[in-house]
Amino acid sequence: MEDNEEFDYVASEHDRLVSAITKLDKTQHIREPTRNEPTIQSTEFNLIKRSSKLKLDNVVKVLEDTAHHVKIGKKLKKSQDADKILSKPLEKPQAARIKRSTGYEETKKKVGRWDPVVARNRTVDYVSFPIKHFPSKLQPTNDFLSKLKLKSPLEKELEEIDPPPESKEVVEEEQLYPMSYEEMLEHRQSTAKLRAQQSYKAAKEKRQSKIKSKKYHRILKKERLKQQLKEFEELQIKNPEEALKKLEELEKSRALERHTLRHKNTGKWAKSKLVRAKYDKEVRQQLAEQLSVSRSLTHKAQDTQSTDDEADDTENIPDVTLAQDPLNPWMMKSSDKSNVDEEFNFGYKKYLNDKMFKQAEIDSDSDQENLEQTHNHDIESPLGLLPESEKRLYNIDNPKDSKKEEKPDKKKNNNVKIVTPKLVAQNSDQTKKLPIKSKKKSKKIIATTSWVVEELGATSKSIITPIEEGKASEDISNVFDRYENKVVGQVEHKLKELRRQISKIGKQSNQQNKEVTEDNAEHDNLEYLKLKKQNPKPQIDEELIETHNGIGLKEIEPSLLNIITPTENPSQQNMNMDIDPTRFIEVKPKFLNTAVSRRENYIDDLDDDDEQVVPKVDIEEVFEEDDVVDSFRQEKEDEINQDIPKGVDLALPGWGSWGGKGVKATKRKRNRFIGKLPPKTSRRDENKGDIIINEFKNPKLAAHKVSNLPFPFTSVKDYEASIRTPIGNTFIPETAHKKLIRPSVITKAGAVIEPMDEDELLVKKNRTFNNNSILKLFAKK
Amino acid sequence: MKEKKTVRYFDIESNNKDENNKDQNVKVFKIKSTSKILKAQRYKQNKNIHTKKKHSKNSQQFPGKAPINPEKLEEHKRGEGLGKGVRHPLHALKLKKREHKFKYAEEQATRADILLTEDQGFLEVEEDNRTTGITQKVIADNVDITAATKIFELNLAFGPYQAKYSCNGRHLLLGSKKGHLAAFDWVTKKLHFEINVMESIHDMSWLHVETMVAAAQKEWLYIYDNTGIELHCIKKMDKILRMEFLPYHFLLAAVNEFGFMSWLDISIGEIVGHYNNHMGRTSVMTQNPYNATLCLGNSKGVVSLWSPTVKKPLAKILCHKTPLTAIAVDSRGMYMATSGVDRSLKIWDIRNLDGPLQHYKLRSAPLNLEFSQKDMLAVGLGETVEIYSNCCTQTVEGPYLRHRMAKTINNFKFCPYEDVLGIGTSNGFTSIIVPGSGEPNFDALESNPFQTKTQRKEAEVKALLEKIPAELITLNPSDVMEVDVPSMKDKIEARKNLLYLKPKKVDLTPRHKKKGKTNIARKKIIKETVRKEYINQSMEAKKILAEPEKQYVPKQSFGVLDRFVPKPKPKK
Repeated sequence: MEDNEEFDYVASEHDRLVSAITKLDKTQHIREPTRNEPTIQSTEFNLIKRSSKLKLDNVVKVLEDTAHHVKIGKKLKKSQDADKILSKPLEKPQAARIKRSTGYEETKKKVGRWDPVVARNRTVDYVSFPIKHFPSKLQPTNDFLSKLKLKSPLEKELEEIDPPPESKEVVEEEQLYPMSYEEMLEHRQSTAKLRAQQSYKAAKEKRQSKIKSKKYHRILKKERLKQQLKEFEELQIKNPEEALKKLEELEKSRALERHTLRHKNTGKWAKSKLVRAKYDKEVRQQLAEQLSVSRSLTHKAQDTQSTDDEADDTENIPDVTLAQDPLNPWMMKSSDKSNVDEEFNFGYKKYLNDKMFKQAEIDSDSDQENLEQTHNHDIESPLGLLPESEKRLYNIDNPKDSKKEEKPDKKKNNNVKIVTPKLVAQNSDQTKKLPIKSKKKSKKIIATTSWVVEELGATSKSIITPIEEGKASEDISNVFDRYENKVVGQVEHKLKELRRQISKIGKQSNQQNKEVTEDNAEHDNLEYLKLKKQNPKPQIDEELIETHNGIGLKEIEPSLLNIITPTENPSQQNMNMDIDPTRFIEVKPKFLNTAVSRRENYIDDLDDDDEQVVPKVDIEEVFEEDDVVDSFRQEKEDEINQDIPKGVDLALPGWGSWGGKGVKATKRKRNRFIGKLPPKTSRRDENKGDIIINEFKNPKLAAHKVSNLPFPFTSVKDYEASIRTPIGNTFIPETAHKKLIRPSVITKAGAVIEPMDEDELLVKKNRTFNNNSILKLFAKK
Repeated sequence: MKEKKTVRYFDIESNNKDENNKDQNVKVFKIKSTSKILKAQRYKQNKNIHTKKKHSKNSQQFPGKAPINPEKLEEHKRGEGLGKGVRHPLHALKLKKREHKFKYAEEQATRADILLTEDQGFLEVEEDNRTTGITQKVIADNVDITAATKIFELNLAFGPYQAKYSCNGRHLLLGSKKGHLAAFDWVTKKLHFEINVMESIHDMSWLHVETMVAAAQKEWLYIYDNTGIELHCIKKMDKILRMEFLPYHFLLAAVNEFGFMSWLDISIGEIVGHYNNHMGRTSVMTQNPYNATLCLGNSKGVVSLWSPTVKKPLAKILCHKTPLTAIAVDSRGMYMATSGVDRSLKIWDIRNLDGPLQHYKLRSAPLNLEFSQKDMLAVGLGETVEIYSNCCTQTVEGPYLRHRMAKTINNFKFCPYEDVLGIGTSNGFTSIIVPGSGEPNFDALESNPFQTKTQRKEAEVKALLEKIPAELITLNPSDVMEVDVPSMKDKIEARKNLLYLKPKKVDLTPRHKKKGKTNIARKKIIKETVRKEYINQSMEAKKILAEPEKQYVPKQSFGVLDRFVPKPKPKK
């Protein structure tokens, strides 16, 4: 019930609201009754406001039905009939606005027709005015007609020289639609298929590239490498040229690696690690790994002369072995590489190489000797070695080497020397000339290394004898026997002397150490020698030996020796690293056979000898001032120090602590109050050795230089590129010069330049101008 | 005539079909052919025949401009072009058009190479002979008459003579220690003038034209015209030891006895640079034609490079440990040859300031050096002159030519645009032929050996208009073409401090990076790694050797007191 009440209440409220609203409406809602009964008294309820409007119809009705009146009535009706009434005129400003906007549209359209003309004129190289060329005077008809010849005599002549191609008019049925409908369908299908494949593949690759698992990537990498290796091997068999190309690619990748700073521990990561490296072993390992990666990647493919064991060493890095494989026939072909190596093969590097080479040969010799002992009468195998050993001899003869020879090296020479008599013996069978030569050489060698012979005296004897037994010619062998005896005698004599000396000194020298080891195990000795040889610095191995007692060396177990061998690898790599560090230090002087002025020397045998003449007296020493170099370096250092920005001392003396003479600021203060400026960028002469390059701002030059980029440029590089070509005819061809300096507007002197008329819109070049970006730019304006 | 045949797609793809069939699991879309499509197709088919004229240009005998050899084009390239930094479409388009013009200039220059018709001379000998064996007599017998006249000798009485050729190689200037000064056209042997200045002449030089000559006499610098009339006496420059004329800057550079360097601008008669070099007395000086710097060698073996506006050396190179005897820089400014008392001859990369590239040891110390236009190096050894060809890029085994004389050499110069070496000797002048030393093609607008008087006048005016200011003499002559980045940075910074100004975004990377840094870094890395490896190796080796040592130390037993025996610290 309550609900009902409330509902009523609401309804009444609603009525009130409606009435209130209706009150607002002032219009009359009570209409004039359409039917009414005639009554005398008019009720007040029927009273309504009547419109004061006069109904003309009624008025007309009142009039009589004369023709004239009918006419008037009709007229009136007609005038009343027009139900459309003119709208009220707009307000003035609004009307003006509308007028303006429409006017704008109109003119925009009209002016817009000129856009391409303007844009084209702005963009072309030059515009020449006046645009229209009227011939100054009319040609007489005859003149005009005379020009209408078929061909001028020049043209005819030209045609004789270079006949124009007979322009065949090939009437061709070229189809606008080169495919029939079915073909098109098929084509569409196939392209759709292709696209689908592509997208699948792309999706797959995207998915795979997002995999973060290191293990997965490692496996992937390994697989890829394997695959490459396999392919390469296949290619090697099938298509050697391709394989060569691939090898070159590998080389290139190596070069790239070398070029970049990747794996060089110079990056952000490495630097952050370096900070921790001091305390963290793992980090150190990581860094080392990085370096080793770079080393392996930059490792040069080995030359042909690399021995087998070297190849074994590098087996753990697969892609490197690929490049280094000594059995690889293509490596043999790439001779220029070895040439390059040879070029840089001087100085210490050469010395090392020689050492290595000799070592390798000693190995092979020892093998050979074994062979010979078994097959005593086998002559052919040593003969094969002949050229090599000769080469070796030349190597030894090389004066450069002899200069640098040190004790261990001499010992190697000694080893070589053992072989030489054998060689001579073999040669004697063959020719007469050769032995003489080699004899000479062997003598030379003895001369250089005679005093070291003792070390291998015993063994050398044993080696020589079997070989000589194998020889047929007895007299020569007799000679050598004698010679050998002599040598051995000398050796023994020297040995005795040396031992005496040693015993006197009471120390065990290096040489004796070696002797002992040699006596005990030749194999060990060889290994040991190898280590030394691959040490690029001789001082190190000297130290090596000095540090321990001689007897101790005996106790080096083979296991330890095995440990030594792996250390050889990096040094070997160094040697073959195509950029030799020693190269930057000094260029080897080349001795030239120049003329000697008559005052100095009258002997002129210049043209006769091929060898380099090394002056006996080092004149450098006479004139050389030692302090020249030092003072120059000092100067450079001063120069560098001058350039280093110094920190600004902001500390106030005596503030917070005692001040005065002799009182030093505390460390804390110093750190806090001395503002450190950013370090200057590296100097040009930083690593150039004895060269000082002064880099200072030259204000006089700066006046000539540009220090603000002009408008359209936002980068220095672009601006500099835009002025890279000079425009003077001194520097570029005249035609280009003319082109570059042509003004953008060319006017004919004395001619009236009329403004453009609308004919210009119809010119084809203007109509076809369609650089939208520029058109847009002008439209915007 | 080749007729074009419409190629259907299946003609090409027939080969690939089997490949496509491999992937069967791919969805294939089929398009249903509706009547509408078919109708349109038919309509098109009916209307699709139309004719076309066809020309083929290949059949023509002279089809147009010859193609350019890309390798030769590379020689005329001026480096990398514009990037995409310019955003404004109109300016971008304009710059692009300009770029095309640059390209056109390069191509035209390449095409103009065809005008270099002359070839370089050379000596050809049999395999077992050497070029050094060929004497001037042999050459004179084998060349044509005009060339043979280029071998001649002048016997003059006034002591050691110096000789210098003019820029175009036509005129020769002789000056002697005893004051004899003469200028003549050495080809026709027509004498311009011959005077005795009655003073010692230390050095002399042609100025920009052959009508003017500068002579450094005992006290002051004098300028004579080509009739021997004294035009100027410049007392601002005194006691000159060596002079060099820088033709493009119109500067006469000189160094005097007290170590003062001075540059005289002969076009306006002003001294543009004058200061002491603090290098001591030295008469070893030459100019670097590439950047117009002066190379001065001193008694400490240091070569220093000088420019008139900077009072310190631009660069210093320690070339030898002994006093320098001679310097020469080649015409392109690539190589510098220095020789010292230590009998060595070194070749340096003067452009990059690096080296030495080559180091030769001679049997006696060279006293003069000179590069020819084609990079042959003449070395003066007392009475002999030796010419080395191609000794900069590779190590030579021996000289190319050798000429001995019975008199001491005072100086020598290669004649430009001729295969001639002129030697000023103790008693006269000798001219010899060195095949292949001179540039065979001359640019008549640059320097013309056959210049007429009007041409000379015109060239003089033109050269004056193109005079390079003295301030532009720096190590890198293209410095002007670069933006002054540091001062630009300052300007940008200043702009940033202003309120209500939108700072411009500017990319400051220069076009030419300062090269060499990376290379040096690499060198350093290599050195470092090598060193580390040595250390590692030695460490390991030491370890190995140290271990057995320990075993051998006999442990003395102290019984209970053993615990007090100091234990060796385990090494890290």
